[in-house]
Amino acid sequence: MTFSRLGLAVILLLATLGSATAQKQGGTLRVTHRDNPPSASPMEESTISTIMPFSAIFNNLVVFDPASPQNRYDKVVPDLAKSWTFAPDGKTITFTLQQGVKWHDGKPFTSADVVCTFDLLTGKTNGHLRKNPHKTWWFNLADVTANGDYEVVFHLKAPQPSIMAMLAGGFTPIYPCHIQASEQRTHPIGTGPFKFVEFKQNEGMKLVRNPDYWKPGKPYLDAIEFSIIPNRATMLLAMQAGKFDLTFTSDLPPEVMKDLQSQVPQLQCELQLTNTQGNLLVNRERAPFDNADIRRAMGLAIDRKAFSDILGHGTFAIGGANLALPDGLWGWSEAYMETVPGYSANVEKSREEGRKIMQALGYGPDKMLPLKVTTRNIPDYRDAAVILIDHLKSVYIQGELEPIDTPVWYARLARKDFSVAMNVQGTGVDDPDVQYFENFLCGSERNYTSYCNADLEKLFHQQSEMTDFQARRQLVWDIDKKLQEDGARPVIFHARAGTCWWPRVHGLQIARNTIYNHWRFEDVWLDQ
Amino acid sequence: MLFYARRYPLGIAGALILILFVVTALLAGVVAPFDPLTTAPKSALAPPGGRFLLGTDMMGRDVLSRLIHGARISLAVALGAACIGSGLGCLLGLASGYLGGWFDLIVQRLAEMMQALPLLVMALVITASLGPSLVNTIIAIAIPLVPNVARIVRANVLALRELPYVEAAKAIGLGRMKIAVFHILPNTLAPLIVLATAQLGSTILTEASLSFLGLGVPEPYPSWGRMLSESAAEYIRVAPWLVIFPGLAISLVVFGANLFGDALRDLLDPRQAH
Amino acid sequence: MIDYLLRRLGLMVLTLFGVSVAIFLLLRIVPGDIADIIFESAGMVDPAEKQQIIHDLGLDQSLVMQYLHWIGGLLHGDLGYSYVSEKPVLQEIAPRIPITARLAALALAFAVATGVPIGVITAVRQNSGLDYLLRVFSLLALSMPAFWLGLLVLMGFVNWFGLLPIYDKAPGTLGAWVLMMVVPAATVGLRSSALIMRLTRSSMLEVLRNDYIRTARSKGMPERTVTYTHALRNALLPVITTIGIETAFLFGGLVVTETVFNIPGIARFLVEAIRWRDYPMVQNLVMFIAVIVVTVNLLVDMAYMIVDPRIRLRG
Repeated sequence: MTFSRLGLAVILLLATLGSATAQKQGGTLRVTHRDNPPSASPMEESTISTIMPFSAIFNNLVVFDPASPQNRYDKVVPDLAKSWTFAPDGKTITFTLQQGVKWHDGKPFTSADVVCTFDLLTGKTNGHLRKNPHKTWWFNLADVTANGDYEVVFHLKAPQPSIMAMLAGGFTPIYPCHIQASEQRTHPIGTGPFKFVEFKQNEGMKLVRNPDYWKPGKPYLDAIEFSIIPNRATMLLAMQAGKFDLTFTSDLPPEVMKDLQSQVPQLQCELQLTNTQGNLLVNRERAPFDNADIRRAMGLAIDRKAFSDILGHGTFAIGGANLALPDGLWGWSEAYMETVPGYSANVEKSREEGRKIMQALGYGPDKMLPLKVTTRNIPDYRDAAVILIDHLKSVYIQGELEPIDTPVWYARLARKDFSVAMNVQGTGVDDPDVQYFENFLCGSERNYTSYCNADLEKLFHQQSEMTDFQARRQLVWDIDKKLQEDGARPVIFHARAGTCWWPRVHGLQIARNTIYNHWRFEDVWLDQ
Repeated sequence: MLFYARRYPLGIAGALILILFVVTALLAGVVAPFDPLTTAPKSALAPPGGRFLLGTDMMGRDVLSRLIHGARISLAVALGAACIGSGLGCLLGLASGYLGGWFDLIVQRLAEMMQALPLLVMALVITASLGPSLVNTIIAIAIPLVPNVARIVRANVLALRELPYVEAAKAIGLGRMKIAVFHILPNTLAPLIVLATAQLGSTILTEASLSFLGLGVPEPYPSWGRMLSESAAEYIRVAPWLVIFPGLAISLVVFGANLFGDALRDLLDPRQAH
Repeated sequence: MIDYLLRRLGLMVLTLFGVSVAIFLLLRIVPGDIADIIFESAGMVDPAEKQQIIHDLGLDQSLVMQYLHWIGGLLHGDLGYSYVSEKPVLQEIAPRIPITARLAALALAFAVATGVPIGVITAVRQNSGLDYLLRVFSLLALSMPAFWLGLLVLMGFVNWFGLLPIYDKAPGTLGAWVLMMVVPAATVGLRSSALIMRLTRSSMLEVLRNDYIRTARSKGMPERTVTYTHALRNALLPVITTIGIETAFLFGGLVVTETVFNIPGIARFLVEAIRWRDYPMVQNLVMFIAVIVVTVNLLVDMAYMIVDPRIRLRG
């Protein structure tokens, strides 16, 4: 008796010591927001504008381990799924679900909701989604069945270790069976730590604490308020003046972040890879890029470091289709990168080679090849395109900017009405399955360059099934190299950007290789 | 010349400012120390002084050179829009006033309609529909100018139409066209010039607003207005010179145009003289 | 008087009808519609899904049908649903209009309160040093781009006073609201203030020269009374006209000022709606603005007639 009481006392003592910086309940977190999200439904959108404010309303089956700042497919922890087991052949995963979870409107969460969610995603049921941008992620999912109220079974066509990453990503929240998709766009209901209060177009959104959240003690905040401030200067001044606690994620270009920090030394700031890459869409079906030599010359003209220096104050990462090491999981090692054509450090030499190619084709300083460089009419895209045009001059290509208004951008791309387009694209999860199957699969909607290589596709599937990480990564390196050699979608840079917050904000989790996957806010607390 | 300088010192000052900018714009290639389009990452965001008199922007481009070349663009857009707008408006006003009848009625109603919409909204919709380009910006700014000009010219035509020497010309048998061009038009020129110069300032400002909102003249043309746009404003803390100098340039040119326009009005239109 | 009014009202309706057709067509000339934008945010275009959206929103009907549908609804007070937020247009517009209206009113009040007195002063002290100084200042105020001024003001406030006069939350009392809006209102109103000042000045000068003023002076009335009672009253006519014209021009300044000072008003909202190709929103907003402009013009003309008896006769 005495012994166990002593033991209890020791445990209590340790617990109190351990929570010396104990989380405090209460407070409203005020966050700046960048622009109006098209809707409140993470499933239907690809933009961070929706993910950051509205992820807190939902739960996933699993999430990326908060203890690991690098999101990895093999480091996921339970969320709505308490535990899971893989069948020996890797084609079946059985998830055991949490019990006693309630939707925000009080109805109970069961396995049926998981089935509904994935039937929606795979297109089995018509839930009147306006759009389904992540449908391609589930190419390998044959079926999802329920086994009683608290067990679901995922049936895969082939083993796929990365499916865990897709389940953990911000774009895969679990939706309720009993709510329409259109409702989720305007008044989302989830099981998450925060409830939806309001969403005023162009003004802001408000979330409030879910008192019945199934994780006891969480969340710590009373409410979260987002204010949409499109004018960057105003936003910076407001942050400086202390009107907000946290900036929108990766909203600050590196030098702006540095400057803000130097003006306000108490601010905490962190620079992260956003998993947004600048790449070139090259239309191989149209002159001049139906000529492989000209494609090659263009590739040799690019000074990737300059892009990083100008756009990222030198902080950007250089790599192939997959996010660069060390923050990304699948990028090339430095040694390997040396072997990839176009990634040489000696830019002058590459450009000399490019000039020779162009001269052989009859071009020169007096006879430049005119070219329209298409891009979206927003600063991130435009700035990159301006730099590209400057570089192209070094191989006798006279580029002219063609800025396309946002609404027509994807329509133009889908029509293949361009020669070369400067593209800036985000990827939801740092994983080759997502990268390859979204962008390089024959006939995929995002495959704007109509790149189609049956041999490479076999390799896509092959790497998807591999369970040995090192071996798989080696294959991914080879695939990426082939893609760059083919000039499929030359990758120029992997962007980095900053997020800042006042020190009273605790518990924030910034990942190293994505911006999309950790905005639950359930561990965040305010020290007021 | 000295006579004018004494009576209209502000006007001369305005004219000088305008001439300065026009000459700079014309000689941009010679006067500008650097190429406005070349990116130079190593010199990005350099403060004013030394090699770069007014500093550099986030791509390492020299601000002074961009301002000088930007003068070309901004003035071209403003002058182009003012000319096209005034020209079209003049034609419409002349025809409307002189021909009368249902043509006049329709044109008047159209003009009223256009004036019911705010200038910026119209320019916005037009640039959004035609796409951002130099020519489209000129068109977008020119079109809202037309109704104003047309209205004033028409009023003048109506007043002049009844004058004896016009009646005399008709009596001699001069064709309507000839009367319009040779007799009526010269007398409407004075208020027209005044109006056009008055419009110059506001067209420059409209172009700046359009560029600020992301429409207007696209890259790589260095437009003053776009130099002040969102992406530049982001650096307001890091590099305030990016915001201060283009704004100063715009203000100075518009100021000169306004001074000159005021003096011109005093000169040509004594009825409104101060 | 009555038939003048009736005639004007008839013209108003005609004008508004023309505006409705114009904005309807202009919007549809613009390439890209809401379906394109919706997919832009998804990062890809699925043709089947896109067709579905187009059908759901009625965009595959003929233009005439769409126009009639809109106008029919408008006349019944049903302004339709926003394509973007899927909420009723009225619900989106209603709370924002008062914000912009109050900002505009405050700006105009500022403009009149500063413009008229300064205009009077410079007229009375014509060609003095003060006159030149104030005229140059007013011309400067007319020359500055509104958003540039706004940005500088904002920066100045933060760096010198440590204050940030941007829109925070909906203010409770009238006093709190004025305090929050006074800086952006002054920024917007500066331009109008300069215009009003110049007009007041020239108008006053013209009036001061007039015969009947000389008569009043010769009758022995004190100079003050001459200036303020006779001259000012007559000089205010063109000022009233300006207020009418300014209503339309003010909008441009409002758009950029609302953007810089983060005010959730209708001007900024309209720009965003155009960007999003949110037809129902843009169409109705533009009609609303047109109604306001046309009504203000009518009121101004009527006020003009009341104040200046000479015009009434011409009617």
